[in-house]
Amino acid sequence: MPSPDDTMRAVEEETPVILSARRMAWMRFRSNPAALIGGFMVISVILAAIFAPLIAPYPEAAGNTIDFANRHAAPSAENFAGTDKVGRDIFSRVIFGFRVSLLLVIGVLGIAVPVGAALGLAAGYFGGRTELLITGFTNVMLAIPPLVIALAVGSILTPTLVNAMIAIALLWWTWHARLVYRVAKSVAAEDFVEAARLAGASHWHVLTREILPNCIAVISVKTTLDAAFVILFGATLSFLGLGVRPPTPDLGSMVADGRQFLPEMWWGVFFPALGIFYATLGFNLLGDGLRDMFDVEV
Amino acid sequence: MGKVFFVASGFIEFLLRRILGFAVILLVLSLMIFALARVVPGDPARMAMGPSASAEQVEAMREQMGLNDPLPTQYFRFLSGAVRGDFGVSLISGRPVTEQILRLLPATLELVLVTLLLMMVLGVPLGVLAARYRNGWVDTLLRLISMVGVTMPAFLVAILLQLFAAFYLSDWPLLGRIDRGIELPGGPTGLLLIDGLLAGRLDVVRSALQHLAFPAFALALSGIGQIMRLTRSAMIENLRRDHVQTLRSFGVPDRVVTFRYLLKLSSIAPLTIMGLEFASLIGNAFVVEMVFAWGGFASHGLESIMQNDLNAVMAVVMVSGIFFVLANLAIDILIGVIDPRLRLKEGR
Repeated sequence: MPSPDDTMRAVEEETPVILSARRMAWMRFRSNPAALIGGFMVISVILAAIFAPLIAPYPEAAGNTIDFANRHAAPSAENFAGTDKVGRDIFSRVIFGFRVSLLLVIGVLGIAVPVGAALGLAAGYFGGRTELLITGFTNVMLAIPPLVIALAVGSILTPTLVNAMIAIALLWWTWHARLVYRVAKSVAAEDFVEAARLAGASHWHVLTREILPNCIAVISVKTTLDAAFVILFGATLSFLGLGVRPPTPDLGSMVADGRQFLPEMWWGVFFPALGIFYATLGFNLLGDGLRDMFDVEV
Repeated sequence: MGKVFFVASGFIEFLLRRILGFAVILLVLSLMIFALARVVPGDPARMAMGPSASAEQVEAMREQMGLNDPLPTQYFRFLSGAVRGDFGVSLISGRPVTEQILRLLPATLELVLVTLLLMMVLGVPLGVLAARYRNGWVDTLLRLISMVGVTMPAFLVAILLQLFAAFYLSDWPLLGRIDRGIELPGGPTGLLLIDGLLAGRLDVVRSALQHLAFPAFALALSGIGQIMRLTRSAMIENLRRDHVQTLRSFGVPDRVVTFRYLLKLSSIAPLTIMGLEFASLIGNAFVVEMVFAWGGFASHGLESIMQNDLNAVMAVVMVSGIFFVLANLAIDILIGVIDPRLRLKEGR
């Protein structure tokens, strides 16, 4: 932000202070407390996942340890979030649980975003039969209940994390394809695209250098919001028993485990649930903030 | 409302085109689930016969189930059966899949209908409220609530509601559709609320409502948030439109403008989204039904999935797709009723 001095000097020199678009966007983001909090939450989740063995008070709780003397211990100074049915520290397991959630996010969005973006770009830029084919297919896929297909895939193949990723990614690209298609179509009609074509640029150049940069804003907003949904989706799948295999800590299956001991041992459900809530709320707040910052509709 | 019946040919054409689109959706869905079911590592015939059957018996079963035919033949048989509502027999119980599903469908239907009602009844007025006091504390509070609703997975809402009830509402029923002691009315629809009313059995209606309250709310919460947000932004956007401004400048009271003109105009966007959201509603019903031991179509689907009951899984996926398509058709018609521009458009 320009200081008052800068502004005065600018007025004296009669040159207006021009802020770059990037600077303006950053100012909008910085003045939005919800977005900042969301950003902080997301960063803390990512750091917790990376440095889980250092942060967790009982790193061995992520494995197969058993401490029957200490099972179902209520939250206390030693175990902030109590212990589970075999005496493992729940707080430590939640920290490790973020790893599985984030791996799922990276896996799913790593497949879905490029595929969706590529199809959306092609449909928006080439038009004609390509457009008809891709948008038609996308619309059909949008109509398929994702959880139902994910369940079917999870049961037909063996339920593992990789299969869960495949199942989710199978339907997830559709939203990105739709979004990128909309932007690409309007950008493709702009003069500078025409100019690039006339100057002899290849389709590849136009797609990657002229159109794609204009889609980055929507893609990044959608991807951030999607991260929250993928975490939620993954937690739902593993809650139903279609996630990672025990003893790997996973937030959804921890909720499922703890549920058997409700309502007395409420901490077994409450703290993993809080973990899910914290991560998804963080990504949602950040995504909302980015949306305001880039001023795009997603 | 009399005008509604003057449906222009344009709208009929629009509907026909949508129906065609829906047919394509179901066709692709059937292809997809068939392809999935045929890449299964396990042998469906072996699964149906159990581990003690001899290789010859399994081979005979494969022949009987048509698993030795070429894939296109198998697909065509599946498709023509599906069109007639015949999905074969369950590999676990040996009874027709369709019969099982039809028996369980009303429970899910009742839950989903009440959920949709709850979404509209809570989501739309709250959206109006947020738009009316936009950027004030009411708006902020509602925005926060809708954020929580979108952030919380349905199964967590369901469990937290159960936990809450266990601590504070000790008499509240938490599992099933109705109290054990109550004799079922057995009416024509299978929906307890309607059958109970038809039979004049208020105890049935009361118990069913009690059992419905938590599952329906758990299912509705994220939808309520979304409908609220969309209604709010549509209201604010439409407020700027010329005809609304004209009404206001003529001195038409705010309340009349809001509820007679603005709300109708602003309900189109949330309705459209509700159609798409219906897909995730069906998915969430699987989880919520499980948490509340609802014993409906979705819990049956979950069971079949867990037991690798292929025929039942395929049927459940197809019926979910049909559910989705019918809901969207209903919404299209509803939007046509609300929006005369669509309904009365000449030609095209």
